[in-house]
Amino acid sequence: MEETKWEPKVVGFLCHWCSYAGADLTGSARMEYPHNIRIIRVPCSGRIDPMFILRALQNGLDGVLVSGCHPGDCHYQSGNFHARRKFAVTRKLLEYVGIEPERVQFSWVAASEGPKMAQVVKEFVEGVRKVGPNRLFKDEIKDGE
Amino acid sequence: MENKLKEEARKLLKEGKVDYIVGYGKGTVKFRTSPLITNKEEDIEGLVINPFIANNLSRYPAEIKGKLGIVVKGCDSRSLVSLIQDNKVKRDDIVILGVPCEGVVDIKKLVEQIGADIDQVKEIDKEGDNLIVKMDGSKKTVLFGDVIFDKCFGCEYPTPLEYDILLGSEVSPRVELEKSLKKIKEFEDINAPERWRYWKEQFSKCIRCYACRNVCPACFCERCFVDVNIPQWITTYGSWQDNLVFQLIRTLHVAGRCSDCGECERSCPVGITLRSLQRKMVEEVKGLFNYETGVDKDAPPVFTHYEATDPEEFIK
Repeated sequence: MEETKWEPKVVGFLCHWCSYAGADLTGSARMEYPHNIRIIRVPCSGRIDPMFILRALQNGLDGVLVSGCHPGDCHYQSGNFHARRKFAVTRKLLEYVGIEPERVQFSWVAASEGPKMAQVVKEFVEGVRKVGPNRLFKDEIKDGE
Repeated sequence: MENKLKEEARKLLKEGKVDYIVGYGKGTVKFRTSPLITNKEEDIEGLVINPFIANNLSRYPAEIKGKLGIVVKGCDSRSLVSLIQDNKVKRDDIVILGVPCEGVVDIKKLVEQIGADIDQVKEIDKEGDNLIVKMDGSKKTVLFGDVIFDKCFGCEYPTPLEYDILLGSEVSPRVELEKSLKKIKEFEDINAPERWRYWKEQFSKCIRCYACRNVCPACFCERCFVDVNIPQWITTYGSWQDNLVFQLIRTLHVAGRCSDCGECERSCPVGITLRSLQRKMVEEVKGLFNYETGVDKDAPPVFTHYEATDPEEFIK
């Protein structure tokens, strides 16, 4: 059987008002970015529970990208400010328990920043490719099993 | 201290200022204490204050209806203030009886130090910095600083910050932060895959009894995310993956509310080093947002609040 080459599979949680529109612009401007990302639209970066990130990793995704409006641009005034505090500690905790920091990326991408979106996804996927497939939550297979 | 507590507690009940007194009583196991909750004057005689009062009683005000007179140590008082900040407890509904605390004895450490079973110990007296342990026909002296809980080493607020009645004179803080953070620093020095393996091993032991959640004063959600079944975030059987995710999310939920009282680790029946997670978060919250739990009862809880200048160098 021919061996298939491993490709990272990552998920992107993008806020409806900025980053999702930004990703849309990337597409309509015919800019290319890695197809490794699966985008999930959320109302606001404040909607993103750290649980989403952990469950995505637990379910075997290789990385999680979280993106929202720039500070001050939030459609709901303060969603991304609250999110920012939450993300800061989430990131520290994940690193502390031994999850590679490259697997979880946060970014601010505005609706007009199509090229930035492409750049962020490209760099993120490259980072994930470097750390390799996510085997964190896999059970080790012992000899004789 | 004990006599003053009994006197004050009697007075509070008699004058009708409180409906219940929440304090420490003698436990069923030698030297250990257990919570004593009473509205009867005759039970007041059973209240104790000694170097073994480990429980954090600040969990009770949110659970018991009526006015409470509650006994708290320094760390517990900060849990209580944190609950006041979160509007879970009304300040006017509680009378805080503050115990200035020099540290709480970890019986596990004590047993290790004296090299004898706790049942053989007849009496323990505290004399200055020493504990005099009297056993059948012999006497041993151990250093108090060797047998207290790890959390007590770096305790910056041994005297309750918020109280109505202080039961003793103020205690100066221990400044052994290094000793308190030793385990975390050592842990951070090992590489990421090893760290992950460590937690994997730890949480393979977990039986998901939820003692850590049930004992934690900061865990006050009416419905915990692990009990939610639509969507079911965490499966009901105890795989290490789910156990770990459960604890990580719990850690994040109590971040900024945790006063490092160490009850999660103390209550864990399988001995998972939970405090190392919680303590790490205490440090991070302090470093990132310059916020300490339960120090100021009028301050907004750290995650309901933000500053325009919050750190964001990690965001692209």
